[in-house]
Amino acid sequence: MLILVLLLWNVGEMVYIYRVFRKKQTLFDDRYTKTMCMALSSISSFVIALYLQLLLPLHPVTYFLPSCAGLWIGWKFGSFMKAPASLNGMYNGALGGIMGMMFGAVLQNPAICNIPITEASFTSNLVSLVLFCAALHTLVHHFIRKSLTK
Amino acid sequence: MDIPIWLFIYVDSCLFLIFYLYVRKIKKRIGFQLGMNISMVMGGMIAMLSGVLFILQFPFHFTYITMLSALIGMGSGAVFGKLFDHETFVAGLTNGAVVGLMAPMIGTVVEMPGRFVLGLHILFAMSMVMILSSVIRS
Repeated sequence: MLILVLLLWNVGEMVYIYRVFRKKQTLFDDRYTKTMCMALSSISSFVIALYLQLLLPLHPVTYFLPSCAGLWIGWKFGSFMKAPASLNGMYNGALGGIMGMMFGAVLQNPAICNIPITEASFTSNLVSLVLFCAALHTLVHHFIRKSLTK
Repeated sequence: MDIPIWLFIYVDSCLFLIFYLYVRKIKKRIGFQLGMNISMVMGGMIAMLSGVLFILQFPFHFTYITMLSALIGMGSGAVFGKLFDHETFVAGLTNGAVVGLMAPMIGTVVEMPGRFVLGLHILFAMSMVMILSSVIRS
């Protein structure tokens, strides 16, 4: 439930900043667009892939969905730039998606990484790390919104 | 093999401080492209080193060490990026955060920690030499 609320919050934030970028696309220079798309695609696809990995059940159909969502986010953010430079956004999005999937898998089953976590502290561990990731996403988006108004 | 992890942490923080003071002294000579690369490389390397070293020192506090290394990576990337520009600031912050969230996982799965830490320090020294040579050449 908490993860669903956080997913909706982060997706809302991401869609808002995507619409702002789409509207003001012609005002920015190349370097600004490249840096912001790199930052946005890597952190957004990381967080979204982490939530999807935690929410979806383990099934062959939904197995590659988090990394594909990361790739799609990177593609959408990369489409602000010209064709060869949009590979940058796609690369960062795919990397963030795969990393978020790995992080979610380790949080679901800490024995993969030989992490000594007992059953009692498992849920609080998961919840605190997910809240921390949501806070990171909010912080990065706050800095990017602050740079838009400058 | 017993490795003195606190010594490594101390040496790394000293190197980081010296490098930061050096870059701050000559920041007028560094262009924005090199500044962006410096902030990304230093944020990523410091996040990686702090995550691996802290998880080897305290193996039972995975949650706190993940948060701590992400915060350290964000802070170092932001400190280096703040010298130049607001865009280098955001790039260093994001790169440090993503690498810092991943680093303790690598630290838990390594089988030979001594050689891995040694290899990481060789990588750190090589990237620092590379940055210094490109700073001097610019």
